[in-house]
Amino acid sequence: MINSFAIIAFAALIHASFQLSVSMLTLMSGHAIGSKSSHAKLLRLTNAFSLGVAIMTLLSLSFIAFTLQQYFSGGVPAVAWASACGLLIGLGVAVWVFYYRRDSGTTLWIPRGMARYLSDRTKHTKQSAEAFGLGMSSVVGELIFIFAPMAVSALALLQLDPGMQIVGIALYTFISLLSLLIVNALIGSGHKLSHIQKWRENNKRFLQFAAGSGLLILGFYLYVDKVVAASALSGGVL
Amino acid sequence: MADKAINIIKRGGRRASEPFQRQKLHASVRAACLSVRSPDGLAESTANKVCDAVIMWLETKPEVTSADLRRKATETLESFHPEAAYLYKHHRLVI
Repeated sequence: MINSFAIIAFAALIHASFQLSVSMLTLMSGHAIGSKSSHAKLLRLTNAFSLGVAIMTLLSLSFIAFTLQQYFSGGVPAVAWASACGLLIGLGVAVWVFYYRRDSGTTLWIPRGMARYLSDRTKHTKQSAEAFGLGMSSVVGELIFIFAPMAVSALALLQLDPGMQIVGIALYTFISLLSLLIVNALIGSGHKLSHIQKWRENNKRFLQFAAGSGLLILGFYLYVDKVVAASALSGGVL
Repeated sequence: MADKAINIIKRGGRRASEPFQRQKLHASVRAACLSVRSPDGLAESTANKVCDAVIMWLETKPEVTSADLRRKATETLESFHPEAAYLYKHHRLVI
């Protein structure tokens, strides 16, 4: 059980290092402050956005876990773990190479049409309900990167009791939201957006390296723990 | 100072060009200053100074692109308010 929770926590930490939601929160706050919205309204917007991200993360993970449960109700086979490891390792290399674009700023390798849509909507968001929906959309926009850690967490969830599965989903959601919550708290406490954005830009290569390395480490660990060890045991080697 | 009779060619040339509007530039610079939590008065005066400098620069130009205009405004804003200039320059490069 501890092993499953450790996998979920580490995958959620990798998820937290992806930056689309943080970029959108920064942009939305900048426009809200720039148009002289009150501090209370700014907080309503940022909190609604974060809640949208949380709900969509929770629903996505639950959906993936439920779908996998239909196929692997009798236990997760080694081939499923091997596929997930391949996904993690492939994505880890892709994140190392591609995650941020080569321009200055913090532009990401997400489809440009999606990025333009999210950027335009973020700038024009005035209502909490809109911010909530935007938070949900940001999770979908980044699905290409977060699918692998979510899939691995879903496989780990299947090995837990139903009660513990809920705890696992809550743990994943909370940890994956940490970076967003920190930026939300910084904005709420009056920190300048220019400082936050400059920090993000100055450290973007480190964040990219950390996310890619995290995916590779998790992929190799799971391959050894769930595929090699399981094959060795079933083959009678050990 | 009134609007200048000069055409601004929009980004990528996909949208039609439009005449320069001081108010539009003023609003964007002011918003950038407010975004870094500058007081209202400072944001207002900084935006006025930037607009004046940009209009002087436009005197010699028959037409400019919106990217040129943004570059010049950023350059001017840099000397009055570096933090606001940073956000002004990067606002398209966040996502």
